[in-house]
Amino acid sequence: MTLDRRTFLKSSALLGGALSLGALPTLARAMTADGVDARAELRGSDRTVTPLRILILGGTGFIGPYQVKYALDRGHKVTLFNRGKTNADLFPDVPRLIGDRNLPDGHKALESGEWDVVIDNPTANPKWVRDAGKALKGRTKHYIFVSTISVFSDNSKTVDENGPLNVPSDIDAPFDAAKYGSNKVRSEQEAKTQFGSNLTIVRPGLIVGPGDLSDRFSYWPVRIDKGGEILSPGTPDDPAQYVDALDLSQWIVRLAEQRVFGTFNATGPKTPTTISEMLYGIKAVTTSDARFTWVPADFLAEKQVRGWTEMPVWVPPMGATAGFMRVNCTKAWNAGLTFRPLADTAKDTLTWYHSRPAAEQEKARAGIAPEKEQAVLAAWHAKQLAAK
Amino acid sequence: MAREAIGGQVSIETMTRNATGMQQTQIKPLRILILGGTGFIGPHQVEYALSRGHTVTLFNRGQTNPGLFPNVEKLIGDRNAADGYASLKGRTWDVVIDNPTQIPRWVKEAGVALKDSTQRYVFVSTLSTYKNRGPIGLTELSGTMSEPASIDAVPAGFAPPDPSRPTSTYGSLKVRCEMEARAIFGDKALIVRPGLIVGPGDLTDRFSYWPVRIEQGGEVLAPGTPDDSVAFIDARDLTEWMIRLCEGQANGTYNAVGPRYGLTVAQMLYGIKAVTSSTATFTWVDADFLLERKLRPYSELPVWMPPRGDSAGWARMDCSKAWNAGLTFRPLADTARETLVYYHSQTPERQATLKAGLPPEKEHEALAAWHAKIGK
Repeated sequence: MTLDRRTFLKSSALLGGALSLGALPTLARAMTADGVDARAELRGSDRTVTPLRILILGGTGFIGPYQVKYALDRGHKVTLFNRGKTNADLFPDVPRLIGDRNLPDGHKALESGEWDVVIDNPTANPKWVRDAGKALKGRTKHYIFVSTISVFSDNSKTVDENGPLNVPSDIDAPFDAAKYGSNKVRSEQEAKTQFGSNLTIVRPGLIVGPGDLSDRFSYWPVRIDKGGEILSPGTPDDPAQYVDALDLSQWIVRLAEQRVFGTFNATGPKTPTTISEMLYGIKAVTTSDARFTWVPADFLAEKQVRGWTEMPVWVPPMGATAGFMRVNCTKAWNAGLTFRPLADTAKDTLTWYHSRPAAEQEKARAGIAPEKEQAVLAAWHAKQLAAK
Repeated sequence: MAREAIGGQVSIETMTRNATGMQQTQIKPLRILILGGTGFIGPHQVEYALSRGHTVTLFNRGQTNPGLFPNVEKLIGDRNAADGYASLKGRTWDVVIDNPTQIPRWVKEAGVALKDSTQRYVFVSTLSTYKNRGPIGLTELSGTMSEPASIDAVPAGFAPPDPSRPTSTYGSLKVRCEMEARAIFGDKALIVRPGLIVGPGDLTDRFSYWPVRIEQGGEVLAPGTPDDSVAFIDARDLTEWMIRLCEGQANGTYNAVGPRYGLTVAQMLYGIKAVTSSTATFTWVDADFLLERKLRPYSELPVWMPPRGDSAGWARMDCSKAWNAGLTFRPLADTARETLVYYHSQTPERQATLKAGLPPEKEHEALAAWHAKIGK
């Protein structure tokens, strides 16, 4: 199977867009009920940290709330800047600046105030970085841009931070969300132009955990919890990489505290992890009767089962995607990125998922449809039988 | 997910209470006498029985963990002594649970002492009563039992040594114990045959090795193939179910091991890894190589048995009778995490002397030899 790279990028962009556009207002309840609050940690620890004035652009989507909670717990002063539309009732005690970054005057609210650090979470449009840079000129000591490992143009092998990048998009051309990787490359460049060396670029891989509306990891805990025979992609030894939103967000705040500059690939776990370790690890938090049938990549391709979207967290570990789940993140690990146990991520994700309204639970945005899974498994078994 | 590890000392009572959850209200309170009760599975039974409103009395020598359960009635007696059961005279119980016994004479003497003073006698036997574990799906009716030991037999190493008493194997002794229990108590006998019992409080380390080893990280020697079956039962699942069986007035014989839907050794090891942030990687070493190098399944390679020959069915016994009678299994992640918490609550000396599993040197040598053999 050859991964349809465009399909993958497009779906990433659409899902990312859905988050930043605030299309799903029910997140707030879920996050406060079972997400951020339930996962609060390290409250009051590390009292030697110097309090920072942190401005978070966005801050109410998926990873933002984890940053806010952690930053507040560590004694920082947080201000949010967003449209006031996504999860508007989150953090009522946190000061909020209002602006719509798609409007010509959208960044006006940023034209006063002094910040130790600005964290830009939701930006895929390089114009947003340029406008933010102009509005914030000289009034922040540090800018942290959340980019993506989708900036890399060659996923056929393991890359570190210096891997080849996609062709940057044209900042003045009409914004095309489908050019996700190119937009992020251009955004990174613009961040360098605007903020110089006082810049940190974080390139996460697949971000997972409670609050993820893309369901790109959640599919597996939910599916395994349901039980029965599970279509499992590729071979048990295929690589898998992901990062819990909580680990990522807390580390970003620590990068701010330590004024760490530079570019970091940021995914995990810390040692090479296989897809079977992930699936079996998820099973361990359930009492499910799940059993796993491993179906090779070429058979999945033949049946038009798409890696990443229908078989989340997995891509064929060969050809154009051989390196996609083997990104080198040593630099981030050495800079303090840590990883909580998979069991915690899996259990918290399940708990959060079941707290969502039934209608949302039914409309999973990733993972193979049950009928298709059944059909592919049946076809695979038939082929196995015929071969005997 | 409680994170008890932070506090350090975690008592078995605390963990059991957390695991037990709600009390039910419609249970008829039972008067339960537990023979033993202060070892591995006993304390879990006591906690659960108390949480369900039963009255518990312990009978033992008062030597193992005497500080446990200060508010529970304790009768003292030494089952090896001539008048060992004297303290039980004149008392009656709804249930007697006999935990620690593999000596047939103990069952016989307990029978004499308790025959007319209890409604039910629960004997904790073992799946090791099946001599031939080759067949897959052994049930309670399978005719593969060990030869019963003689009524006077004792285990090898029994203390004090008594040359007049023959020694016998664990399985044979337990078969004879079961026979005695049935002969004396008839329909009042309830016999539970657990597989490998694991979890917090286990002094044998026959499961604990894996969480501890995996948490240490590095290259872990993983036995056999990833798809080999394993079976075990969390002490809490076993003991809580036993109390519920008594509440439901069950009798007869039950195999008792899990988990319910089967587990492979890879699922076990990766599931354990999932509760850690360990850097463990797994190298699967095939059974022939392990046996050639005389690495012992089950003891040095805990939980695992080669899925062949007379151990082919060891991890695949039929426990549907127990499942239908309410035996449930908690998630592996809970067992693994709480086993680690328990392990770290012990003294450094105890933590340094695991009683099962491969010593680090031996594991290292075996891995080096395996890499040399397969050429990578």
